[in-house]
Amino acid sequence: MKQSAVYAMMMIAVLAGGCGKPSEDERVNIASGVGSDTLLNNIILRPVLKAFSALIGEGIEVKKADLRTNDEGFLELQVSGYNRSYNIRRFDYNVEWVDKDGLVIPTKTGVWQKMSVQPKSNFAILSVAPRKDAADFRMNTRKSN
Amino acid sequence: MKMKWIAAGLILAALTGCQPATRNIDIINDEGKPVMALDYRDFDQAATAMIESLIRSGSLNKPGGGRYVVTTGRIINDTMQRIDTDQLMAKIEQEMMNSGQVVMTSAVGGKGATDVMVNEMRDLRDSDQADEFKTETLPAQKQLITPELSMAGKILQRNIRYDNKTEQVEYYFQLQLTDLASGLRFWQEEKILGKRGSRKAVSW
Repeated sequence: MKQSAVYAMMMIAVLAGGCGKPSEDERVNIASGVGSDTLLNNIILRPVLKAFSALIGEGIEVKKADLRTNDEGFLELQVSGYNRSYNIRRFDYNVEWVDKDGLVIPTKTGVWQKMSVQPKSNFAILSVAPRKDAADFRMNTRKSN
Repeated sequence: MKMKWIAAGLILAALTGCQPATRNIDIINDEGKPVMALDYRDFDQAATAMIESLIRSGSLNKPGGGRYVVTTGRIINDTMQRIDTDQLMAKIEQEMMNSGQVVMTSAVGGKGATDVMVNEMRDLRDSDQADEFKTETLPAQKQLITPELSMAGKILQRNIRYDNKTEQVEYYFQLQLTDLASGLRFWQEEKILGKRGSRKAVSW
């Protein structure tokens, strides 16, 4: 009985996840409970989805990291990602900038910063190098307390 | 009688054992709980947000090249805490200078000269004691450089009753960069930090 309940939850989650079309325009994300309810994402099934999402440990997924040099010669970073979870994800991150030889550039900006992402939403982390000799970056994350 | 002394000693030892031991804070990876008042982590966060915004804005890029001469004007502490605003500004000034776009002046500032020796040396030059020094090593007149930009701002605190047991404390870090010749504001940023906790926790 228990097993079949878990299987049912899995099926719902997979189907609901598969149907995660945010809106007609994919740049616009309609949060759960804001847009119209669907057969697999409604007031009854939403708690099940949340529970299952937490159970299987869905979380943050980083899609890509873009670097560009701005007009003043400083490297700018944008890390784009997605929160797969049905819950708000809060975490800390820090960015270390390295020069062309791979040496870390000492800076006051390399401290842990807070980030919070809505469920099933895209996010972007922005950072800028503190010196013009920065050539690359490293990013660390940790669970927020 | 002896038993009383032993009991007293045991109680004392037990009480001493209950006190939290002193530990060094791991400043790099501090996993300590947040506090209602402003601590170093809050200043780190605020300063980082300000520095990144300032560099990204391009306001420190001097037309025609070279570096701006910058001073720190008045940073007002409008919180209920005793804060030395240098906790915020020292990081920002350091990063501005390290960016290679700015040189800070110690001759003038919102609290006067940040290094009193700039004025002390001039007082010395104009005093009778100047005879004791080699003339060419004393600072000549009209050597100081006037700042071109000034950084000023405010740290604000608002306490709001959230419910019977909880208090919300909001901290606003506001900074602005002004061109001293024209009076025009080149850059401005605000960073808000909010905390919610027990009304019994003190935020001043």
